[in-house]
Amino acid sequence: MLLKYVLRRLSIGLVQLLGLTISVFFLIRLLPADPVSRLVGMNASKEAYAQAQAQLGLDRPVLTQLSIYLGFQPDVSPGLLQGSLGVSWVTGSQVTAEIASYLPVTLELVTLSFLFAFAVAVPVGMLSALRPGGRADKGVFLYSLFAGSQPEFWWGLLFVYVFFFKLGIAPAPLGRLSPMTTPPPPMTGFILIDTLLAGQPKKFFEAAHHLMLPVLNLTFVLSGPIIKMVRQNMLRALQSDFVLYANSIGLPRKVVARYALRAAMAPSMTLIGILYGFMLSGAVLVETVFSLGGIGQYAVRSVLAFDYPAIQGVVLIITAISLVVYLLLDLIHAAIDPRIAY
Amino acid sequence: MAEPILKVRNLAVGYPTPAGMLQPVKGVSFDIDAREVVGLVGDAGSGKSTTALALLGLARAPGKIMGGSVKFDGRNLLTLPDEDIRAIRGRDIGIIVQNPRAALNPMLKVGRQIGNAYAAHNGGSASDARAQAIEMLRMVGINDPERRVDTFAHELSGGMAQRALIAMALSSRPRLLIADEPTSGLDVTIQAQFLDQMWQTVQMTGSAILLVTQELGVIANYCDRVLVLHEGRIVEDAPVRQFFAAPRHPYSQDVLRLYREKGSDYPAQVASGAPVLMQAKGLTKNFPIRHSSKVVHAVDQVALTIRKGEAVGLVGESGSGKTTVGRCLVRLVDPTDGTILFGGTDLSRLSNAAMRGYRSRVQIVFQDPFDSVNPRWTIAQILDEPLRLHSTDDAAARRKRAAEVLALVNLPEALLDRKPKGLGAGALQRINIARALILRPDFMVLDEPTSVLAPRARNALIALLARLQAELGISFLFISHDLTTVRFLCQRVAVMYLGQIVEEGSVEQVFSAPQHPYSRALLSAHLFPDPTHRRVDHPEAAALQGEIPSPIDLPKGCYLASRCGFANDACRSTPQVLTQQDGRAVRCHRVVAGEI
Repeated sequence: MLLKYVLRRLSIGLVQLLGLTISVFFLIRLLPADPVSRLVGMNASKEAYAQAQAQLGLDRPVLTQLSIYLGFQPDVSPGLLQGSLGVSWVTGSQVTAEIASYLPVTLELVTLSFLFAFAVAVPVGMLSALRPGGRADKGVFLYSLFAGSQPEFWWGLLFVYVFFFKLGIAPAPLGRLSPMTTPPPPMTGFILIDTLLAGQPKKFFEAAHHLMLPVLNLTFVLSGPIIKMVRQNMLRALQSDFVLYANSIGLPRKVVARYALRAAMAPSMTLIGILYGFMLSGAVLVETVFSLGGIGQYAVRSVLAFDYPAIQGVVLIITAISLVVYLLLDLIHAAIDPRIAY
Repeated sequence: MAEPILKVRNLAVGYPTPAGMLQPVKGVSFDIDAREVVGLVGDAGSGKSTTALALLGLARAPGKIMGGSVKFDGRNLLTLPDEDIRAIRGRDIGIIVQNPRAALNPMLKVGRQIGNAYAAHNGGSASDARAQAIEMLRMVGINDPERRVDTFAHELSGGMAQRALIAMALSSRPRLLIADEPTSGLDVTIQAQFLDQMWQTVQMTGSAILLVTQELGVIANYCDRVLVLHEGRIVEDAPVRQFFAAPRHPYSQDVLRLYREKGSDYPAQVASGAPVLMQAKGLTKNFPIRHSSKVVHAVDQVALTIRKGEAVGLVGESGSGKTTVGRCLVRLVDPTDGTILFGGTDLSRLSNAAMRGYRSRVQIVFQDPFDSVNPRWTIAQILDEPLRLHSTDDAAARRKRAAEVLALVNLPEALLDRKPKGLGAGALQRINIARALILRPDFMVLDEPTSVLAPRARNALIALLARLQAELGISFLFISHDLTTVRFLCQRVAVMYLGQIVEEGSVEQVFSAPQHPYSRALLSAHLFPDPTHRRVDHPEAAALQGEIPSPIDLPKGCYLASRCGFANDACRSTPQVLTQQDGRAVRCHRVVAGEI
């Protein structure tokens, strides 16, 4: 049952990805842009232009380009079917390899921030729901208003100013490690894991130290909506008939609180999924502030350079990750709430 | 006399509103003796449920208990510390509430929940709790408790969920059970089964019951004593027979007026020469099921004849197809097959445009008065809408007509400029009826119009409908599961089961001597408000077993065979036909053959 459901969802996901690939393929080509002259310059000769165009494959009919991209003509160049996202027009290296080096930075940052935000938001949201209008509740209201009303990069700059410049407890916002440190050999791309795998605990702590501020920054911004949502769901659960009934048959406080929390968590999962998918590319501003070369920065660079294969690769990968995250959260939701049927 | 187990004095509950503290319970005092069954009646909003919860020291947020005392075992429950009162709740005083499915935790298996309730008061291991849960489920009459213990609330039917709740409430054998409208939303057959079961269980465990209800039938059949709650105060406290024979408070008299005035009379039949107004023949409606070639057989070959000025009742359990028949007659649903003759025209064949001309002559009133009106419109706008569509009158004339129909349903003209917000269910249902009347229809379908009304509003609505029928000569199809209402209002009645009419005849014929086994079961399960023939004093045998089969895979022979005590092999294999006999019809070959 479960396996069948997962397989069905994955196959639907594949169809969605294919549809997305094709539509993005055409949408990019609708841009009033000329990637060839962008590469060769406005003053290039006709021959140079034609040569560059042929090199990029843009001289072929659009449908042929699509079929090459999808991988139906491996003799010309490998495509999706062969597991290749093509070659970046700007750097000339494989898009897959580039994404593999940029994506883990973002995943590490966003996942850690979500874990922390969740760990903070659930107890705070519960506390504020237990006494609506109480001191904790008012504090939460102020905080969500405050944290949510300022752009995240502004908070980032502020944090850098306070923690690095004034207090000096954070390192300079210059990347994942200090510029003087040699990074560990990339194995997973996640620096916290790579340093451990390389057996360099010192570098692990250095990386964690560097991650501290960006994670704090994102956690600070993300906690607002999550607290609000947990509070809302918890309030609804506490006022529900079954919690009232649980009280009226004399269940101990602890058991009643467990009933309510479980009911509040299930609907919260959905929002977390949406936020996560959004943050994969939405963390770009924070990444920029802390000079972390994440997928968001890669995406921006590709768009500015009209690097079609790179743009497509980024869209495809982020969508695929979002689909997997949604699936996982749906499974968690179903595990919490038996009313969800596969 | 022994000391009462529960002594309530001046109990008051308040809710903060922007305009200050609202007090739905203003100072309630009463006693309950051991092993006594006490009924608590009152209108919607009279504070019954609030009182029931307050007995346990609870109030629905943001309400607060304002004062008074609830003495149980000599201890005032309202001043006990949280831990002590939690120990008493569920252990000494159990409670079951309306809407059991919402009261059960949707995410935990019912067995776990019953086990949790048991363990909270008796300790013991998880396996003890589980064993106790199975034992309790068996005691409240659930078949196959070993399997049911592992189901979730949403997998249970309403009746089953209510039993699971009572299993939880009684798991610690409390000395007092508070039952707050335990049967609202249940079908009559299930209601009777459930109340019987509750009554027997409580007799076994030796508990007292406080039975909160709006149904006089429930009071008459199960209670020893009646408390009447009106505007937050107990206005009458009397033994049940005395209450029905000689109610003292004006509110109680009002509630009982209908039964006392009409007594055992049935409504007079219309003249035999009265013209036939509405006639359905072979009416059939199937609903397709998505991703399946099967269909839901909602209505199957229904024939109905309604004369001018006649009220025909359509009764049966939920899911029997009553509502679909009503909607087909006014073409809110297009029938799959059959004819609907209205004054000689076949409505079922009319195009939507041609049907529009008939819309003003056939009207429908729905079950939920709150959902049937646009809450943002004034009453004048609500009543005006049909006139704007169907008449050529100017605004002043239309407003005059709106005031006229309001007067017709006994509502003041001043309501015209108000919005539905703040009106009670009774008043709103009158507005729905006024809206249906405004175009002077010949025929009205009333789909359970009284089911959400409190007893007094229900009585008034029945009186109103009887008057409209007599004065205006309107014909009604009255769909209801409340047999008492049908008995006081209708001339003829049709009993539906699984989309078919199983018995049809005058109300007197069917009510005084039902023939079809299903009608017999339905009538015997119905709780008439008559304390001299209490159900608990002579147990009935005509009960049906099991639950209504699925309307998707219908049985081959008689649809009732699987639940009927009279069924034989022929019943199970031959489909039954509706047979006419002495002005009545019955769908049972054994009745026609005179065997039962």
